Amino acid sequence: MEELYPVAGPAIEKCASCNTSVSNSDVYCGDCGYPLKGNEQEQQNFLYKRDVADIDMAHFNKQLKNAANSLYYLAGVFVLTGIIFYFIKNDDPDAFVILLENLVLAFVFLALGGYARKKPLACIVSGLCLYAIVIILNVITNPATLFYGILVKIAIIGYLIKGIKSAIEIERLKKEYHLN
Amino acid sequence: MSENTPKDVEITTCSQCGGEVRLNSKFCNYCGSRLSANSDDFGKSWTRLKEAALFYGIDIVACCLASFVGIFKTLGWSLFFDILMAISAILFFAYNWSENKHLLKWKSFSFLKLSGYAAIAICCSVIVHYSVGWLNVVIFNKDENYFELLRGNLAAEVFLIFFTAVMPALFEELGYRGYLLQNLLRIADKDQAIYITSFLFAIIHMSFISLFWLIPFALFLGYTRVKENTLWYGIFIHFFFNLTACVFQILAAH
Repeated sequence: MEELYPVAGPAIEKCASCNTSVSNSDVYCGDCGYPLKGNEQEQQNFLYKRDVADIDMAHFNKQLKNAANSLYYLAGVFVLTGIIFYFIKNDDPDAFVILLENLVLAFVFLALGGYARKKPLACIVSGLCLYAIVIILNVITNPATLFYGILVKIAIIGYLIKGIKSAIEIERLKKEYHLN
Repeated sequence: MSENTPKDVEITTCSQCGGEVRLNSKFCNYCGSRLSANSDDFGKSWTRLKEAALFYGIDIVACCLASFVGIFKTLGWSLFFDILMAISAILFFAYNWSENKHLLKWKSFSFLKLSGYAAIAICCSVIVHYSVGWLNVVIFNKDENYFELLRGNLAAEVFLIFFTAVMPALFEELGYRGYLLQNLLRIADKDQAIYITSFLFAIIHMSFISLFWLIPFALFLGYTRVKENTLWYGIFIHFFFNLTACVFQILAAH
């Protein structure tokens, strides 16, 4: 970091909160906002707030993991239904196309689940929208499909929505406290 | 001690206290206030996301009904859904007018650049047409619908071009690269916002085969829009892309 911020002044010290190099003339850390020149009370308060954010972060990360697992679960469901349908309705001329479509969908959900850690908001929002479209298309072809496994559907959508909320919170906390 | 700061450090001023701070700082070194412009709190971000969900929900329902329900597969209904989506795009764009209006300006206009983008769009369209061939679905299916329905009408070709090249170019860009992308840029970083917009834009076309070229195409439009900071290049790229597809369609019909 020293090469990025060539700061003047004789002494360069490290921020006690985020370990970034700071100039000894700085009152606040430029990277995390830690009060370098504040009294002990202020510094303790800042670190306390940061630790609370760290605990929140663990909670949000868990919800993110649930959302990613829901995406994996969907991938599994599509592979399974595709294969079962293919073997039951072997004589249906569309059977192979439907199998292929299911496999493509499964692959997309698998990829979204895999990248959910790196790009949480993008992956979970995409997964939820794709799932919504699949449900709507199934309902248009056969309205009864809406009620197939409706509790599971609600649970998955719930996990995904919680995942989106957590992703927003994580983005915010990362910016605010320089956490990883 | 700030007068000792070497010249090669980029400096900006803090909007709160006016102190000189390094350009990459997230917080002011003097007063501790946050420097990044993107500081919406959770409530605001969540409201933005719900608003975007409403916009996208309207589009999903309209597209699903228009493409998959038999009774809506008439010219009248197709026009109805196209106009509905256009109105929705305009309304959502206008709702956040103060944030979005700068996208309608075209400060960096350059004829050379525009021709370059048009050439890229036409090349892409030709490549897609030949590589995906008969598998290439959505735009063409829709074209065929119009074309079949309009056969015998003298103005059929003009109609076709208007409803498959002009309308989508204008209103999809306004809705997706305009409203949706601008909205998401306030919630997530640049890359994620562009990825989300591109994926949503691609899956709304309801075609498996098209996904493979729609996502890269949408990413290209998204990055162009962010780089140039105007909607107009995107609108022209989209227009030339669809126009080329239309020309293939008309040639095939003759």
